[in-house]
Amino acid sequence: MIELDKGMRAIRDMARQGGEELRTRALSIDADPDDMAPHFDSPVFALVRQSKTPLEFREPGDHLKWSLDSDSCLADVVGMVELGRGDAATLFACPSPALAGVFVDLLGDAEQKQRFYTRLHGGRTWTFFAMTEPDHGSDATAITTRLDKDGDGYRLHGAKRYVGNAARGGIGVVFGRTGRSALSIRAALIEPDAVTGWTATRLDTVGLRGACLSEIRLDGVPVTRDMLLGEHLPTTRRGIWGAVKTFNNMRIQVAAAAVGTALGIAEYVEEHRKGAPGAALALARADAARELVYEAAARIDRDPDRGYLSSAAKLGATRMAVRVARWATGAMGPAGLIEHPLLEKWTRDVCAFEFMDGTTNIQRLHVARGLQTGDADA
Amino acid sequence: MSTVMLRCERTGREESLAAGLAVALSDVDVMATAPGGYAAVPATDRDTEFVNGLAEREGIAFIACPADRAPDTYRLAEVSRRLAAVRLGVIRRSLDLAVEHLSGRESGGEPLVRKQMITATIADVMAEVEMLRAYATSQSDPAALAELHTRLDEVGWEVTTLFGAAGYIADHPARALYVSAIVASVWIDREGVTP
Repeated sequence: MIELDKGMRAIRDMARQGGEELRTRALSIDADPDDMAPHFDSPVFALVRQSKTPLEFREPGDHLKWSLDSDSCLADVVGMVELGRGDAATLFACPSPALAGVFVDLLGDAEQKQRFYTRLHGGRTWTFFAMTEPDHGSDATAITTRLDKDGDGYRLHGAKRYVGNAARGGIGVVFGRTGRSALSIRAALIEPDAVTGWTATRLDTVGLRGACLSEIRLDGVPVTRDMLLGEHLPTTRRGIWGAVKTFNNMRIQVAAAAVGTALGIAEYVEEHRKGAPGAALALARADAARELVYEAAARIDRDPDRGYLSSAAKLGATRMAVRVARWATGAMGPAGLIEHPLLEKWTRDVCAFEFMDGTTNIQRLHVARGLQTGDADA
Repeated sequence: MSTVMLRCERTGREESLAAGLAVALSDVDVMATAPGGYAAVPATDRDTEFVNGLAEREGIAFIACPADRAPDTYRLAEVSRRLAAVRLGVIRRSLDLAVEHLSGRESGGEPLVRKQMITATIADVMAEVEMLRAYATSQSDPAALAELHTRLDEVGWEVTTLFGAAGYIADHPARALYVSAIVASVWIDREGVTP
């Protein structure tokens, strides 16, 4: 069992409080995810944005005196479980550095970090991390989007799909390839309103509607040298390395969001349907899954290249969360979903985790490989 | 199998969830039979009293039912079995679409439909469809019917995952599987359910 130290407990408690506020905004964002103005100045959005912004890139007036250590996956996961317990979709609707921030921290030079974080000041714009493509899912090595040489720079041609907040994002990361090898995969820092050839539209999704999943068409988007991430790094550290590291982080965060959602669901049933059969068992399962994602996050912190346990955690947490939602549907009694719209929303939201950062089948392959390579027993 | 059960499944498969539900409820007094505070019905000619975006687009409406009714357990069991048949039809239609979808996508130079993990899911879904049809046809005990619909939820989700993220788009045909679970949550009493 992971014992959280004082700092981690403080993160957990603050996130728990933030989660409660997320929940109050959840149904209105689900109903109209484009109407974000009433939420921009919410304390929890400021907390999420500032905690993910390194101190040197804060804006005057930011009151938070600390930031999450970008090297601590466990801190992210402890926060994510609690925020997800409030409402994951509302968390993903928050204008914040998010996944793109993790990547820019890894591969951006000083000027790019400045550009990225300054763009987010005021909490009015979103970021995006555009890796996934229509025909290749989350397989980073199978990217077909091209970075074609054009004078001193490049032009992006291709398409991306299921990218959170891309249709409304002010700045983000887009992956493409300059050639055929894995090392030719590169990322560019794009500000859609400053380039030509960019078209992004929101996808109307079943759930997790706050995430604003989008599709992007890239028709010769110009990429100048100062937009390419990792130029100052050795060739092996420029693209795919950062993508894999970021995805390892994201995978466990998706698992944490699933655990948080399951905890929220089980507690909701317990509160609104006193004595519901199975409530204690549902909570026990979600609690156990929380322990597993904590352990997997701590292991990523010790050895970022070993992904076995985070894949096992993502597989198990997602499955558990879907089952808890199914149980809750029955436990609330006939028409319970109609009488409890928040619960109905969560039964849709929880399905999204299956499709994020590798489906169950993809995680199965990772887990089996982890067993065969000895990662499971290391 | 009775004619009405056959019609329910065929309509769910060849037409839609809403059309199948219309057959299932064709001779049912829904206000008197629904076990909870709402009934799920085809949207035709009715104003919904609860708006659910997905269900609305699937042609399903929810109407409020009077609180103090004596439950007609016999009639409710019949609705439950017919609804199961409709859901089996919807699952079959969705599975056919999934197989078509997976035949057109490749990974490592091979159509996804030939990958063993995918084949396993398709086979498990079909085996479960056959078993659940027998279940729906032969059983009428409330606990058995509750389990039947929970298993339909599960198999529906298995089919949904075959579409990948594409099935999570609200206009995708997989929407019928999500909505069929909502419809069942309204019609089926599963209060003794455990996780």
